Amino acid sequence: MTATDETRWIPAVPGRHAEGGPVQTDDTMIIPAVDPELDAPDPPGDEDDDLEEGFRPTRGGWLGRGVVWVFLAWLVLALPVNRLSPFEVGVADIDVISLAVIYAIGGLSLNVLLGYAGQISLGHQAFVGLGAFTSAYIVTNLQLGFWLAVAVAAGFGAIQATLLGAISLRLSGLYFALVTLAYGTFAEETLFGIAALTGGEGGKPAPRPVGFESGYAYYYLCLGFLALVLWLDWRLTRSKGGRALAALRENPRVASSYGINVKAYILLAFAVSGIFAGVAGSLMAHHDEVIVGSSFDFRLALLFILMTVVGGLRDRVGVVIGSAFFALLEEKLLIEMIERLGHFLLEPFGLAGWSIGEVLQRTVGLPLEFVGLIVGPLLLLLTITKYPGGIGQQVAPIRLWLTGHRFDRHAGAVTEVEVNDVRA
Amino acid sequence: MSVLEVDAVSIHFGGVKALREVSLRAGEWEIVGIIGPNGAGKTTLFNCVTGFYQPTHGQVRYRGRDISRMPVHQRTALGIGRTFQNVGLVKGTTVLENLMTAQHLQVDYDPWLGIAGSPASFAEERRVRERGDQILGLLDLDHVRHERVADLPYGVLKRVEIAAVLATDPDLLLLDEPGSGMGPEEAHELGDTLLTLRKEFGLTIVMIDHHVPLVTRVSDYVYCLNFGEVLAEGNPDVVRHHPEVVRAYMGEDAAPGPDDTAVIEPAAAAGSGGRG
Repeated sequence: MTATDETRWIPAVPGRHAEGGPVQTDDTMIIPAVDPELDAPDPPGDEDDDLEEGFRPTRGGWLGRGVVWVFLAWLVLALPVNRLSPFEVGVADIDVISLAVIYAIGGLSLNVLLGYAGQISLGHQAFVGLGAFTSAYIVTNLQLGFWLAVAVAAGFGAIQATLLGAISLRLSGLYFALVTLAYGTFAEETLFGIAALTGGEGGKPAPRPVGFESGYAYYYLCLGFLALVLWLDWRLTRSKGGRALAALRENPRVASSYGINVKAYILLAFAVSGIFAGVAGSLMAHHDEVIVGSSFDFRLALLFILMTVVGGLRDRVGVVIGSAFFALLEEKLLIEMIERLGHFLLEPFGLAGWSIGEVLQRTVGLPLEFVGLIVGPLLLLLTITKYPGGIGQQVAPIRLWLTGHRFDRHAGAVTEVEVNDVRA
Repeated sequence: MSVLEVDAVSIHFGGVKALREVSLRAGEWEIVGIIGPNGAGKTTLFNCVTGFYQPTHGQVRYRGRDISRMPVHQRTALGIGRTFQNVGLVKGTTVLENLMTAQHLQVDYDPWLGIAGSPASFAEERRVRERGDQILGLLDLDHVRHERVADLPYGVLKRVEIAAVLATDPDLLLLDEPGSGMGPEEAHELGDTLLTLRKEFGLTIVMIDHHVPLVTRVSDYVYCLNFGEVLAEGNPDVVRHHPEVVRAYMGEDAAPGPDDTAVIEPAAAAGSGGRG
C-alpha cells in the first residue's frame, strides 16, 4: 500500500452518490483525494495492450508478416479470379464458397450465444431461416430493395432471439436446450410452412440484388458482410457488453455484484446473435435465389454447433475457419478439392488412379462423400477431449505472430478454468 | 444517519432459521467488525445486505432507504460493494480485465454503441483502462495486471478482489474474510490498508473476519454472531472479553478469565445500545 494523500486518481463519474453521499460538515472528516485535474501516473500500454512488454518484431520480421498478410488477402480476395490449378474456381464452386462465407456469419452468431453468453441454442436454424424468409418476402412480395431487406431481417432476427432469450431467463441448462430444440423444429414445420408468407412447399423466390447477380460479385458482397460482422464481434468483446458477458458466463453472482444487470445482458447477447443470424439468413436466401422451409432442418442447427465448437468457442478466427471448413465439407467441395489436388500431384507419376477417393472406393467400397459424415463427429470428439480451443487454438500461434507477437508454438492453448462457484 | 441499518432481519430456509432478528448499524466512515464461529450466519447476513437473499422478516436500509427487495446490481449502483469468502473474481480473464469489468456502471456509453464501435466508446475504454491501472497501482498490484486470475496465488487474489470492489466505486464496503489465508504480519498490513482506504475513498466498512487481533485493531464497533443471533456487540475489547463470546469460541468449559466481569451489552439490548 503506497497510497498517500498525494495519490491522485481518476474519479468515477462524479456526483453519482450526490444524493445520499457523505455530508461533509465536520472538519475532521477526510475528503478523499479526488482531483481530476492533476496528472494521473502515466498509464502504461494502449489499446494493443496484450503485446508482451518489450517485444517488437524486427524490420525483417514485419516484412515476413507482411508477405503472409498479402498472401492471405490475395487468397481471399482474388479467389474468384484465381487460376492456380488445384483451386480452379468455377461458377458452381464460387457459389459454394460464398455459402462458406455465409455460414461463417452464422457460426459467429451462434458463437455470441454459446461462446460469450454460455447459452445453448439447438434451434439456430430457425434464427437463420426467419431472416431468410423475411428478406425474401420483402424483396419478392413488397418489391423493396435488398439493403432494406437485410436490415429488416436483422431486426426480426433480434426480436425473435430476444423473445427466446426471455424464456432462457426462466429455464436453464438442459431444459432451455430442449426449448430451443422445440422452437427450431416448430419453426421448420409450421412457421416456414405458412404458404402466404413463405411460399410453402414450392419455396419463395429471392432474387439477388442488382449488381450482384453473378456468383463472383455475390461472393464479394458476402465477404463485405462478414467483415462487418467481424468488426461488430470484435468491438463487442472489447467493450462494456462483452466484458459483462464474460463475467456473467463464468459467475453471475460476481457479475451482479460488479453492478451488471445479468438478465439484461443475456438478452443483449440473444439480440446480437439474432442480428447476425438474420444477416446470414438474408444472404442465404438471395444466395440460393429460391428458399424452401425444409432446408432449415435440425441438421443445419447441428452443423452450426459443430462449426462453432470445433472452430473454437470465443475465437472468432477459429469460428470463421471452422464454419468455412464444414460448409465446404457439407457441400462436398472440400473433398473434391482434395481429390483434384490428389490427381494433380499423382498424375505426373502415372498414379492417377491412386488418389484417396479411388482407393477407398476400390477397397472398402465407400464413395469419398461419406468421409464428410465421419469427419465432423471425429473432430468434435477431438475438440472436446483434447483441444478445447478447437481450430482457433491450433491457429492461435500463427494469428498472434501475424499481429506482431513473438512466435510461440504453445500460445493460445486453452486451459480450462475450474469454475468453482463462489460461495456466498 | 447511518449508512447501513439492518433492522431485525430474519431469514428462514425451510425449517432452518439462519438469521433471527439480527440488527446491525454502521455509521458514516465507521469500520464495523463481525466475528463469530463457523455457521453463525455472518455471510448470510452479507447476502441479505447485498441482495443475494431476501430476508423473510425485517428490513435492510441504506442511508435510510429500504433496499430489502432491490436486485443486486441496483444495490451496487447505490454504492454497496462486497468481496466474497472465496474470491469473487472472473477467473478466466486477467486482473486488469476484472478491474475494467468492475467499472461497468461508470462506463459512459451505451453497450450498443460499444458494439458498433463508436469513437466515444474507444476514448471511454481508454479512460476505464487507465483508472483500472491506477487502482491497481494504489494497491501495489501493478506487477500482476496482465496475469490471469486463475494463475495467481490466493493471498494476491484477496488484494485483487479489494481492488476490483474499489473499482465499482463503493460508499459502503462489505468484506467477507479479507484476511483469510494470511499470516499475522500480512493481516496487520491488511489492517493498515483498510484504514488507509477508508481515509482515501471515504468508505464505511463492514468486515467479517476470524483474525480477532485484526478485527479489534481496526474496528470501531464489533458484533459477535452465533447461531444466527447477535451474541454480543460493543467496543472491540468489550466484545472480545464477553463471557458468552469466549464460551462460543472456546466451548462450555472455558475458564472464565479475570476480565469477564467487564460490563457487556447483552444481545437482548441490541439496537438500544448507546453508540457514538
